[in-house]
Amino acid sequence: MTIPLPARIGLLVLATTGFYTYVGQLVPQKEVQPPQETTIRADLTTADMVTVGRQIMEGKGLCFTCHTIGKSGALRFPDLDGVASRAATREPGLDEVGYFAKSIYAPDSFIVPGFNPGMPVINKPPIGLNDQEILCVIAYLQTLGGTATVTLQTSHAYYTAPGATPPAPPGEKAEPGEKLPLTLPPAQKGETPKAPAAVPPPAKKGEV
Amino acid sequence: MMNGLRSKKLLFVLGPVTGLVMFGAVLLVATFLTNREYREPDRVPITAVDPTPRATGLADEAAAADAAAKAKPYVEAEYRRFPVVGSRVAIWAVAQLHLLFAAFVLAVPIFALIIEVIGYKTGDMRYDRLAHEFSKLLSVSFSLTATFGAFLTFMLIALYPKFTNYLMSVFSPTFLPYVLLFFAEAFFLYTYYYGWGKFHPLVHIALGVGLNLVGTGIMLIANSWLTFMMSPRGISDSGALISLEEAINNYTWMPINVHRIIANVAFGGSVAAAYAAFKFLAAETDEERAHYDWMGYIGNFVAIISFLPLPFAGYWLAKEIYAYSQTLGLTMMGGAFSWLFIIQAVLIGNLFLGANYYLWLGMGRVEGAQPFQRFVKYLLAAIVLCFMIWATPRSIIATVSEIRAMGGSTHPILGFFGVMSAKNTAVNILILTTFMSFLLYRRTGRTATVSWAKTGQAVQLLIFGAAAVFVIFLGVYGYFVEASVRIGLSVPQVSSVLFAMVSISAIDIFLFRKPKLTGEVRWGKIPAISQYVLIFIAVTFTWLMGLMGYVRSGLRQHWHVYGVIRDTSPDAFTPTLGFATQVVSVTVLLFFVLIGFVFWLASLHDRPDFNPGTKHS
Repeated sequence: MTIPLPARIGLLVLATTGFYTYVGQLVPQKEVQPPQETTIRADLTTADMVTVGRQIMEGKGLCFTCHTIGKSGALRFPDLDGVASRAATREPGLDEVGYFAKSIYAPDSFIVPGFNPGMPVINKPPIGLNDQEILCVIAYLQTLGGTATVTLQTSHAYYTAPGATPPAPPGEKAEPGEKLPLTLPPAQKGETPKAPAAVPPPAKKGEV
Repeated sequence: MMNGLRSKKLLFVLGPVTGLVMFGAVLLVATFLTNREYREPDRVPITAVDPTPRATGLADEAAAADAAAKAKPYVEAEYRRFPVVGSRVAIWAVAQLHLLFAAFVLAVPIFALIIEVIGYKTGDMRYDRLAHEFSKLLSVSFSLTATFGAFLTFMLIALYPKFTNYLMSVFSPTFLPYVLLFFAEAFFLYTYYYGWGKFHPLVHIALGVGLNLVGTGIMLIANSWLTFMMSPRGISDSGALISLEEAINNYTWMPINVHRIIANVAFGGSVAAAYAAFKFLAAETDEERAHYDWMGYIGNFVAIISFLPLPFAGYWLAKEIYAYSQTLGLTMMGGAFSWLFIIQAVLIGNLFLGANYYLWLGMGRVEGAQPFQRFVKYLLAAIVLCFMIWATPRSIIATVSEIRAMGGSTHPILGFFGVMSAKNTAVNILILTTFMSFLLYRRTGRTATVSWAKTGQAVQLLIFGAAAVFVIFLGVYGYFVEASVRIGLSVPQVSSVLFAMVSISAIDIFLFRKPKLTGEVRWGKIPAISQYVLIFIAVTFTWLMGLMGYVRSGLRQHWHVYGVIRDTSPDAFTPTLGFATQVVSVTVLLFFVLIGFVFWLASLHDRPDFNPGTKHS
């Protein structure tokens, strides 16, 4: 029995598309959900901020799309292992928090030697982390080779915590690349941070 | 006799009956939908009876509902849901079908015109007939493109009204030129097709040039809309338009324009070759087979020659995506879509294998091709090796124990082939190998007679060898340098391959100016399997277009306009690659059903007119 030509061609088309569909099922299957809007509770401790910071880096922040922790060899972007121990001495005049903040708010103003510029401005869309989320990220980064010290009341050149003294002199705006004096808030280890006015009230089920 | 009469009567009533059935179906659906509406039960009119407290209450309720309905404020819907498959899949399928037909309608006039010009310049009427045959596929495809375009527009307005409104607010000045160009395209296309042989050849060629210019203009405008969604420019932080010129000329506009023109020609060539293959397989005479073998060869030649520079246009596009946003670039190559490029490698590997196999089979139709056929095994080995390297992922899907044994998700040896240095090298060598297949095919049945033939061939071989060694050297060198240096190595790799192709082709043209013919090309004398290869190539091209269309659009992830208008619909997530490939396959199958219809309509042209005296089955 001879199969009619249209049927033969139809079978070929079907088999070819079927094969490619099959190949599509062989690769890892991951459904990527849009990042959830997180609400940072006002009573987060520094230790909580570290956990939240890690979650943000894995999710909404998309940090691990480029950065790695503990990898060596031919890397396209800097590995973050031990980054806290390097941060304080990367740029003259900038301490650890100041360097992290600058890397996040104005990433192209300093490029780690051996790498190309490429990091987006994290506080603007499409990533668009808010100031509190960025503080959490900084808290986590501090743990990579150091100890987390930031709280939700930490100010830096790009952010002034509510109630804190602006780090920049009046009339001076923090621009990317500018080196401005940093002011760390008085929050001490073990002290419960006070809720800043702009930060939502604490603790609802399901909140971070 | 009675049977014949009965079947004629049946045929006669078939049209009206089908129309009535379709009309009835529409009525049935309308009745079904209307019956599902809530209606007040029949009762005696309220004015005819004494009002009771209940009746008064009901009347008051009705009046209050009426007043509330009148006071209802207008609220613009953000999204509407398409039944069963959801809005995204519905838009995806319609947009893909529109783009596939549009690509075909834009591509065919490009190579039909080139073939027509060759026919005019050489005086060989076979080329003219071939160009005419290609253009036969245009008119129905043009109607389908326009229909799907209108369908897509209505679907966007209905399902994504707020986003469509925004896009319209930015690009409204481009709409009128678009519509006018569309009218102009209809004018040029139908005059070009129906005016074949009716005008002076130069007038007809001018019509073809007009058709191509107008078609390209339409594509450039439409490309500005979709590239703006990916790399918006010329707007404020809140999305307000500042500069239309910048919104049009955004980062990815020109690379997409170039990439699409080349890809359209490659795709159009492959579909036209599939048409020729279908006609070859259905042919009843040797003459028909010879004609359609030749047509298939030309279609495939157009497809593959256009396909070779496509990766370079792809590099440019990717470079501009990275330049616009590293996040977007990394989502593409290192994030959610990285595995898609392994699927792409399988498709492109198949295209190269298919194209080379067709050429090798084609050598059989040329007398005296045996000396060249001995190279086939080496070419095949090179292609398979490059294909394997290209399709090797950086990280391997493995069990926990396997990952432990490997010391990570990267295989200690195969992992070296998963990086861009290896992949760039593999694809460049693939291109060079396919180019070599073409050169060998070109030489079958011909010997160069120019005095410098030996020197010329030696120089060609030297350029080819030098390009291959240089590409491999840079690929290996990439493992030993920093990322900032490594990224730049793809440029000299690409440049050396382009240089090799251009310079070798240039030498070849002069080398075979007045060749000695050592064997005749016996068109039509090719195994039938070669025609199935052509159809396979066309399906693969179509599927590849669907897949790459998905990555281009899907890259925005949960953004309608990247970084400006966020997708807040239930479809805002990025589906699995498995799901995406299913949608692509369904769309490709629908396209081939419809293009099959176009082929069938085009083939009616060659059928004899209906003769009442002839017995028709």
